[in-house]
Amino acid sequence: MSPAPRMSAAARAGVICGKDVAQELRSRVAIVAILFFAATALALVSYAIGPFGLREEDRPALQAALIWIVLFFAAATGLPRAFVHEEETGTALALRKVAPATLVMAGKTLFNFLLFASIAAVAIPGFVLLLDWRIGSASALAATMLLGGCGLAIVSTFLSALVSAAGQRNVLFVLIAFPLLIPLLLTAISATVEATRGGMPWTALRVLFAYDGAAAGAAYMLIGVVWED
Amino acid sequence: MKILKLLLLPYMAAVVAAAFLWPAPAQGFIGESSRIVFFHVPCAWTATLAFLVAAGYSLAYLLRRNPWHDDVAAAAVRVGLLFGILTLVTGSLFANIMWGSWWNWDPRESSYLLLVFLYAAYLFLRVAVDDPERRRRIAAAYAVFAAILMPFLVFVAPRVTASLHPQTVINPQGKILMDGPTKGVFFGALLAFSGLFLWILSLDARAARLARTRP
Repeated sequence: MSPAPRMSAAARAGVICGKDVAQELRSRVAIVAILFFAATALALVSYAIGPFGLREEDRPALQAALIWIVLFFAAATGLPRAFVHEEETGTALALRKVAPATLVMAGKTLFNFLLFASIAAVAIPGFVLLLDWRIGSASALAATMLLGGCGLAIVSTFLSALVSAAGQRNVLFVLIAFPLLIPLLLTAISATVEATRGGMPWTALRVLFAYDGAAAGAAYMLIGVVWED
Repeated sequence: MKILKLLLLPYMAAVVAAAFLWPAPAQGFIGESSRIVFFHVPCAWTATLAFLVAAGYSLAYLLRRNPWHDDVAAAAVRVGLLFGILTLVTGSLFANIMWGSWWNWDPRESSYLLLVFLYAAYLFLRVAVDDPERRRRIAAAYAVFAAILMPFLVFVAPRVTASLHPQTVINPQGKILMDGPTKGVFFGALLAFSGLFLWILSLDARAARLARTRP
């Protein structure tokens, strides 16, 4: 599974992502737990509110906030595993030998994005069916999910590398991730409200793009010092 | 630092006296509540300055691996948190007078509370790592990463939704909406709080260096 040095950087990052996907598919415990968490949260929300429990004018804002709460908390159970899992299983040293930190970061970010996308693939149709979520602009929602998911994956992967060096990993991840991800989540919720109403949220999408760019640039600069042996 | 300390005492006293006695209360605010601007905004400014100093020294640590830079960065975060909490307390006093509630979950209040959490997490992170070299490296990387994303929390997130907060000094018009005496005391207070920050930072960083080098 070790990527050969003559492969391109993108291909090597892809190999690292593939390794994580294969690992998850082999055990299936984590992915099933995450999807089960998303489904439970969805069922709770729909049971508490139901399709007729919301006033028409409150629907876009409440449904947008609820979908991102479900996505964030479901993803938060799996996203910190990126680097923490390598430390726990003792494979971090081997990974350091076969690829530079930036490529490992890229591969694991890609894996975390796929994890987010799979949760979204379950949660969004669930919301549409159970909460009668009427999406005005599917393309605006897709762009919001793409940019929001990218930001979530980049920041979570970097923070996973950071907390993998520390004790009390899961508690620490929530402590440091929540304040950093709030601007992303607020902007994503705002964009989702607009998408639900049928508009294209250009300003919010620009903010999400800037956030993703800033987070990716910072993570690229810093991952080397964080993942030093 | 001794000269700074000696100058600070009379200067700070003069600023506090002027804040209560010189400018007239601003219109549109209940009673004398507008005078909180001479304490609340300088506290917020000082906290932001402290977090930027922490980011600068953290970056210096990552480049040079000098433990003194880490001592200063950690001290800056501690002092920044002190001023951050004072910002929340003074804001809460103002909120209670103006809006009848100590806490309103206003976007600006909430984003500032999250900023305090962001840097409180820095201290948790330091406590969680046992190895001193690793602790310094991880904490420095977090401080730089947090500083890069901080503008989204402080400047972008509060503007996503409507806010009760009065117009900030950094506003869309690009103008400082104050009369002459108010402006004079306001900038005097910014200078006084910045001096106070430098003095406390110096004390804290030197104490941290002593604790690190003591056998």
